[in-house]
Amino acid sequence: MAMKKRVPMREQAPEERIKNFDSVPLGYSKEEAIEEAARCIQCKNPTCESGCPVRMKIKEIIDKIAHEDFKGAFLLSKQDNAVPAMTGRVCPQEEQCEGVCVLGKKGDPINIGKLFAFVADWARESNIVDQPEIKENGKKVAIVGAGPAGITCAVDLRKMGYQVTMFEALHLAGGVLQYGIPAFRLPRDVVDYELAFLEEIGVDIQVNRIVGQNVGFDELREEYDAVYLATGAGAPKFMKIPGEKLKGVYSANEFLIRVNLMKAYQFPDWDTPIICGDKVGVIGCGNVALDAARAAKRLGSKEVYILYRRTKATAPARNEEIHHAVEEGIIFQEMTCPSKMVGDKDGWLTHINLIKTRFQGLDRSGRPKPVNIDDSEFEMELDTLIVALGTTPNRLFLNNAPELDTFDWGGIKTGDNFETNLPGVFAGGDALNGGSTVIAAMGNGRDAAVAIDEYIK
Amino acid sequence: MKHVITRKEDLNAADYLIDVVAPEVAKRFVPGNFCVLITVPNGERIPMSIQKVEDDKITLYIKRLGKTSRELDNWNVGDALHAVIGPLGTPPPIKKYGNVVFLSDLVCGHAENYAMCKELGKYEMNHITSVQSFPTAADVYPDGELCDTVCDKFILATEDGSRGVKGHYLDVMKEMLEAGEVDQVFAGGGIPPLETLSILTAKYNVPVYTTVRQIMVDATGMCGSCRVFIDGEQKLACIDGPMFDGHKVDWPSAISRLGMFKAKEAEALGCFNHKLNGGK
Ligand SMILES: Cc1cc2nc3c(=O)[nH]c(=O)nc-3n(C[C@H](O)[C@H](O)[C@H](O)COP(=O)(O)OP(=O)(O)OC[C@H]3O[C@@H](n4cnc5c(N)ncnc54)[C@H](O)[C@@H]3O)c2cc1C
Ligand SMILES: Cc1cc2nc3c(=O)[nH]c(=O)nc-3n(C[C@H](O)[C@H](O)[C@H](O)COP(=O)(O)OP(=O)(O)OC[C@H]3O[C@@H](n4cnc5c(N)ncnc54)[C@H](O)[C@@H]3O)c2cc1C
Ligand code: SF4
Ligand code: SF4
Ligand code: FES
Repeated sequence: MAMKKRVPMREQAPEERIKNFDSVPLGYSKEEAIEEAARCIQCKNPTCESGCPVRMKIKEIIDKIAHEDFKGAFLLSKQDNAVPAMTGRVCPQEEQCEGVCVLGKKGDPINIGKLFAFVADWARESNIVDQPEIKENGKKVAIVGAGPAGITCAVDLRKMGYQVTMFEALHLAGGVLQYGIPAFRLPRDVVDYELAFLEEIGVDIQVNRIVGQNVGFDELREEYDAVYLATGAGAPKFMKIPGEKLKGVYSANEFLIRVNLMKAYQFPDWDTPIICGDKVGVIGCGNVALDAARAAKRLGSKEVYILYRRTKATAPARNEEIHHAVEEGIIFQEMTCPSKMVGDKDGWLTHINLIKTRFQGLDRSGRPKPVNIDDSEFEMELDTLIVALGTTPNRLFLNNAPELDTFDWGGIKTGDNFETNLPGVFAGGDALNGGSTVIAAMGNGRDAAVAIDEYIK
Repeated sequence: MKHVITRKEDLNAADYLIDVVAPEVAKRFVPGNFCVLITVPNGERIPMSIQKVEDDKITLYIKRLGKTSRELDNWNVGDALHAVIGPLGTPPPIKKYGNVVFLSDLVCGHAENYAMCKELGKYEMNHITSVQSFPTAADVYPDGELCDTVCDKFILATEDGSRGVKGHYLDVMKEMLEAGEVDQVFAGGGIPPLETLSILTAKYNVPVYTTVRQIMVDATGMCGSCRVFIDGEQKLACIDGPMFDGHKVDWPSAISRLGMFKAKEAEALGCFNHKLNGGK
């Protein structure tokens, strides 16, 4: 029997979607979801589950979907994942659950991410809520940072009966889910809905509370039985090449914070402005770079270039993102490395100098190593340049906690159980690992919740 | 948290003050810190200096400039802001300096002038001179809102000489530097004069801390919009500053970058005025 192909995901057409910030995938219908779920062969040894950092019960959930038990599927998925509608949309599934689905060996793996997003969306539309029974244990935990790591740790601890207070520096919770990933990948009603669950189960989310600044770290340590640090890695990296002072040059974080957190794409109805020219260059080719490039396209830029010193086949971005970017007309200028940014007399960027690269040998991570080609420098006119070279751990908190052990690059040091050098203070997520993924941060949060529970008991 | 306005008064034709309830900011404020306001949920995050703290209230001096500052100007006592966040920033060392001078020529600088002089005055060994300059006598703040009560020596200057000493604070400073006996200068306010001041004090080998105002978005060190270059090294005004050693600041880029959104700001103000006029 020929293996069935994956049920295709309907999407907004590229020429339409570049005019709005609405979701690109339109989501499965009931029938489509059932059909896709029915492709799962219910492996005796479901390898898919070993690929999921929070060990979702993928096989069983898919079985329920195939049998139209969406409610059961939803409640089961919530057991291991507080935010399945979000992870279903942003996990790099090809490297995780779907990457190890046995069907992937010969054909298309099951579309696990989209199925889980479907189930969670269905539950929202049908007003099905997960109401875990909570037995208060009278102990208190403070969580610093309301990104994926903090959210997961908060939910797990709350379910164990802890009183959980989550402190978030920005005016909205969510971390990167709120300020980094654009609405066309992660619609904001989905974010709001899944975050509302935290408050429903009694997690106290305090926004505009900056630990170390308007909440004392020492006070938290005194007042709470344990503290979990999930402050993320949100500090932008620049290239340190000439011209980064110019107007028209943004870090990807600034560009995305303006667009996502501050809704600059709705300026002037929303107050925060953004200036995005006709010709935009984005340095880098990770998820962040592609998010910025695709946002620039939607802000009306005529030409958007990804400037990357390797090839898109060797890029860290998710396949789906690259595929969508190509469809949307993003131009990949591969094998080029920026050398300087040049501006006019008023301090506005006018162009960038690029050097061509070729591969030679391997770098420390085992990837082909790009080296500059002599005398290959050329100019490219640009109005806007977005530097998307990754981020480093947030300094604001660390500056205020000198007693905490960190690595030179800013990552917080912990032992195997995620405890830092300060007793009762645990850490996780990007603050520990540098940039990683939503689900890896969540996995961290989950493991830390167990460690914190053991510590307090 | 209700950030209610409890007092609102004009300082001059362009500037006004508000007292607003902000217990967290009030509790931890140290001069050299600033705060961020969000007036309405779809508003911008606007950085503001803090003039003083009283119980759970802070006093802000605000210039009617663009959309947000004008929108807030239409509000009254009893109205509440969406958020007041802070304190933010890293203050310069507050300690014994000897003869200290604080100079200011704009709202934000005047607020810092007051706060900083008051704090530095707590060290008995400090002799504090506060210089406030305004364009004309008509712009001078009312009694009770000047820094004369928080310093040992107060110099009021107007550029046209219509009240106090004639000239900008730069003129006053030049004379004081000539006369010697200045150990440490602080200054806030307009950015271009701060560059001139930095060059001037360097000539006399007198250290200076200046407030390098830059466009901020998050003000928590995550966007890099407020980057300034100190001795060639990139720093963030929101978490490392906003006060920096004036001799080390790359002033041309700071001045240039502050104007990045001018066209958009004009557009926002245009839309706001349009709405105010009933869309006519
Ligand atoms: C643009 C972008 C796109 C991405 N796309 C993907 C993707 O498609 N798939 C994927 O899996 N991963 C993606 N990632 C990576 C992923 O988002 C991160 O690895 C993940 O969010 C890390 O979670 P976290 O909880 O550790 O930190 P964060 O999400 O960074 O959250 C940290 C939170 O802590 C807050 N905070 C910091 N300091 C303080 C303090 N002192 N007091 C209080 N609060 C504080 C911050 O404001 C922030 O809200 C992307 C990242 C970015 C930037
Ligand atoms: C550390 C710091 C302290 C400040 N203290 C004061 C103060 O005490 N009183 C006061 O009136 N103003 C102060 N400002 C400036 C204040 O933030 C701006 O006046 C305000 O953002 C103007 O908003 P608007 O919508 O009314 O005007 P807009 O039309 O948006 O802007 C007018 C001008 O304000 C500046 N500006 C605009 N947006 C920002 C922003 N997000 N961050 C910084 N500057 C911006 C720019 O120079 C701009 O050209 C301070 C700024 C900083 C960085
Ligand atoms: S959480 Fe992510 S990795 Fe795990 S099953 Fe869902 S989509 Fe796959
Ligand atoms: S590995 Fe693939 S086919 Fe097997 S149970 Fe998991 S999803 Fe189904
Ligand atoms: S305002 Fe974003 S880093 Fe300073």
